Amino acid sequence: MLVSLNEIKKLVQIPADITTDELVKLIGSRLVEVEGTIDWSERYENIFVVKVISAEDIEGTHLHLCQIDAGKSEPVQVVCGAPNVHAGMFAVWIAPGAIVPSTWDDEHFKITMRPLRGYDSYGMLAGPDELGFDTEHSKIAEIDPKLNVAPGTPLKEVFDLDDVILDIENKSLTHRPDTFGLIGFAREVAGILGIKFEEPEIFSSELDAKLKSLEKSSNDFSIEIADSELCARYTAAIFETKDALEAEKYLTADAIFLAKAGMRAISKIVDATNIVMLMTGQPLHAFDYDKFVAVGGGKNPKIGVRLAEDKETLKLLDGKTIDLNHDDIIITSNNIPVALAGAMGGESTEIDASTHRVILESATFSLYNERKTQMAHGIFSEAITRFTKGQPAVGTRPALAYCIEKLHGEVSSYEDDAPGFNTKPEKITLSLDDINSLLGSEYSASVVKSTLENVGFTVDGEFTITAPLWRTDIHIKEDIIEEVGRLNGYDNITPTLPLKPMIGAERNQLFDLKREIRGVLSDKLNANEVLTYSFVSKALQEKAGEDVEDSYEIVNSISPELQVFRQSITPSLLEKVHDNLKAGFSDFTLYEMNQTSQKSLGLENILTPEGADSHGTPAIENRLALVTTGDFYQAMAYFKNLVEALHIKHLFISYDHAGDNNVIKDVKGFQRPAYLEDSRYVAVFIRTEDNMQVVPLGYIGEIKRSVAKKFKLEDTVSVFEISLDSLLRANRLDKISLNFSKFPSTTRDVTIETEKPYYDIECAIKGILEETPDLVYSLEPVSVYKAETNLKKANLSFRLTFANTQKTMTSSEISDIMSKVESIK
Amino acid sequence: MLEELKKELKALSAEYAKIKTLPPEERKSFGVEMNKKKQAILKKIEEAEAASESDNLEPLDLSAPAAPNSPIPTFKKGSKHPLMTELDRVVDIYQSMGFAVLEPRQLDDEFHMFDSLNFHKGHPARDGYDTFRTKEGFIPPAHTSTMQNRALVKYKENLEKGLPIAVVVPGRVFRNEDVDATHEHTFYQCEGIYVSKDATMGNLLGIFKHFFSTYYGQDLRIKTQPGYFPFTEPSFELLIEKPKSLGGKGDGWLELLGCGMIHPNVLKAAGINPDEYKGFAWGGGIDRLAMMKYGLTDVRHFESGNLKFLEEF
Repeated sequence: MLVSLNEIKKLVQIPADITTDELVKLIGSRLVEVEGTIDWSERYENIFVVKVISAEDIEGTHLHLCQIDAGKSEPVQVVCGAPNVHAGMFAVWIAPGAIVPSTWDDEHFKITMRPLRGYDSYGMLAGPDELGFDTEHSKIAEIDPKLNVAPGTPLKEVFDLDDVILDIENKSLTHRPDTFGLIGFAREVAGILGIKFEEPEIFSSELDAKLKSLEKSSNDFSIEIADSELCARYTAAIFETKDALEAEKYLTADAIFLAKAGMRAISKIVDATNIVMLMTGQPLHAFDYDKFVAVGGGKNPKIGVRLAEDKETLKLLDGKTIDLNHDDIIITSNNIPVALAGAMGGESTEIDASTHRVILESATFSLYNERKTQMAHGIFSEAITRFTKGQPAVGTRPALAYCIEKLHGEVSSYEDDAPGFNTKPEKITLSLDDINSLLGSEYSASVVKSTLENVGFTVDGEFTITAPLWRTDIHIKEDIIEEVGRLNGYDNITPTLPLKPMIGAERNQLFDLKREIRGVLSDKLNANEVLTYSFVSKALQEKAGEDVEDSYEIVNSISPELQVFRQSITPSLLEKVHDNLKAGFSDFTLYEMNQTSQKSLGLENILTPEGADSHGTPAIENRLALVTTGDFYQAMAYFKNLVEALHIKHLFISYDHAGDNNVIKDVKGFQRPAYLEDSRYVAVFIRTEDNMQVVPLGYIGEIKRSVAKKFKLEDTVSVFEISLDSLLRANRLDKISLNFSKFPSTTRDVTIETEKPYYDIECAIKGILEETPDLVYSLEPVSVYKAETNLKKANLSFRLTFANTQKTMTSSEISDIMSKVESIK
Repeated sequence: MLEELKKELKALSAEYAKIKTLPPEERKSFGVEMNKKKQAILKKIEEAEAASESDNLEPLDLSAPAAPNSPIPTFKKGSKHPLMTELDRVVDIYQSMGFAVLEPRQLDDEFHMFDSLNFHKGHPARDGYDTFRTKEGFIPPAHTSTMQNRALVKYKENLEKGLPIAVVVPGRVFRNEDVDATHEHTFYQCEGIYVSKDATMGNLLGIFKHFFSTYYGQDLRIKTQPGYFPFTEPSFELLIEKPKSLGGKGDGWLELLGCGMIHPNVLKAAGINPDEYKGFAWGGGIDRLAMMKYGLTDVRHFESGNLKFLEEF
């Protein structure tokens, strides 16, 4: 919304010592977010009203050679192409050196003297478009000779152009329909300056009184509102007009008023309704009365307000026929749709050159329905913007009276149906302490009283507060407290810190675990943390072999790339692996911790209060996925180092061959990702801290060759994806055992030729060492070797270091152990 | 030099032999004197030897990445995501102030996104959030306020014990908008919630001022700007003066949070009596803090997964 400061100044006496800058700052800090200011003060420099002395055709062109009186001793020569240029007219001249106002915000086009068809042209005669008032390009602006402007008078002395226009962020006024008119906005400005707002005359005009007296006195028409929820109040008047459609010939103050609000002059009646809307916030709509009556069957005209029925259609003013739906409020003539209420009129009752009687509507409609209509039909006008804020019912008749007065219309009849207009004002009782204890302020009772009275509240005692009828947003104590705090400036409240008992903040275990993992993976193991989108494409899930049907699908996604909520993180990371390989990186490891979900996991009800309209939200899994450009063992090494650093004990790994009792082969309820290579993955499990149950943690493996191909990955890529929720439950033993021996230790390398898996041999060696009393040892793998001639057997080399904690070991004791180890097969 | 010192040492030993010729009462002081000289020479010898060792070193080009014929030292660059680092830092400060941490759920519902936050059904204010929706009507949260009701429910018993509810909600949120250098559909916010018997708006201003003064390591001025959120009353936006570390010279302002006193209906929705307890809540973006800190101009880096970007952190 654009708001002219000059218009505000016409409604409020701004103290002389407040500069424009200060005023804008105050508005920004106490009323509304000001997105920007458009300064017109220099925009119309060197632009003058001139009189055209002569305008002669330049042969063979559409151009005219003009001599103009610019108030100088000599006439000025200008070449002008507009068809409406003629001798004797008053026009607007942009002098050489001036900037064309419409280009002020972008290219800043400077007018110079330039030759045109052999004639020097000094400056230009401007059209409303170049002046930035309109998009009309076919003619130059003409000034009414009756204004008696002396040629050479600066344009900004004729019209109110030395102005600053505020660009207001509408969102911050969503709850304040009353401020969507200049009067309401100005009332707030008075309030923040601590000035009592003088309500302008228009709300108590004679015509308003006349309308009141006409009500129900004629039977030119009646009003029928189907539901007071849809339309709290509908007022309408019929008046005669001859030139409703005629466009204003001259550049007028009204056109400039409209331009400042980002609108343009169209015709007398449209301009009048727009100006009234901009002043009061109340949109109006005009119907051709005779057409309206004809559409409805010719007699007993009745204006109806009801919801549309599905299958009803309406041809709008813009020529489009729309399918109405059951949320649209429509205006009917004897039940036949003639307008989409609040949004756009219908073609069948359009004002045209033959119109001589007009029905002018001033009504309020349900903001909920208006919003649905706006969305369903894509209509975003100044009027519907106001209706979606919920215009107060109190404003309809004064706006109607004001508009008819502007049009000099002779009213013949008037009706007012207000089934939902609550004329009993909202009364709120609260104490000074209520105010000061919520704000942390020390306002006196008299400050509270004057603050509220300045903007139209009535204050009795300490305090019974009556809200004016246009303040439909005031219902509870806090609404009043907000007014007091805001109008006096929140910035005047002293910041203080609350006092609370010295109890430490509760830790969030998952948040802390993620932080810990980040420390291990990034700082210790030099992996790179990434973040990728929570939404992925169906194509990505299909590539990874996931069941797309099990994904939560976004119905209003931005693109197919972001259509489903992801079931796992690995596929997103594989894409990033590809991107980085392509960018020239090699040997890297990416990881991400984030949320995943699947429909088959069902819903969860987390901390939802009883009676809430919430039936559970999708179960969420917190996961860690790590992808590395290497084989299985590399992913495994990352995993093992991670769990070791986290002091996770009791880890079980499903090497599918092993005879160990701890190994679980059947992984029920924890589906193996389809993107893992069948023979190159393991499942891992942990024992829980609370009940010592064994629960699945996740999978480690190589990406299946066929899947890798789909991701355009040529070399082996390995991954682990684990559940952080499970990891959180893992039995973690922070206690470490540092069993040093003060006696000399022995280090021996041993190679065992075997057909068995590494794990079995490792267990066997450990078994031998552990059965020896008082022995401390370490067992490190050195190499795994297979001769090409015999792939069945492997040579597994270990480095074994051990010592006795009680004594120096004798060489026979050492060789005894070594011979046992060496005999393992 | 070294040779001369050694000769000197020899001469000294020869002179020391004279000790036998001296009368006994002089011998002690002579011995002490001689020993002093000896030590001085030994020290010089040591220094000279050390110097000659260093002199024997090959000259090195210290601007080179490695010694000749040696491998160039390299390190794999691990990195934490800058948004996570920032989030951690923000949460750290709040935790030190006594705030518990709750993370949002990335698929939530209408109740937590709107209903429980005093958005009337069908109210146009819901449009301002450009929410995504799933077929089932679930909503990826468009603000971290989806956790307000859960935070209030979870810690309601604090109030009965005379303790405040103090929670922050750091996490990922989503808005249905096209991505460009300054807009992302996926970004991070941190919400704060405080409820007690005597919470005031002054407290909200105090916490905000304290938090950002700590965060930027500088006492910062703050100011407000009116705003509208259905779930707070009064509602406003908070700004801080541009800190020195971001090139602030005491004139510019940064709009960082939307906030206000928690609307009585929001407290009621969690079963808290608004006549007895008051509270305030605030929320702000994390991406912007990180962008300003690192001088980033394109928000798209964050979700790019580009190692060139990541390795900077």
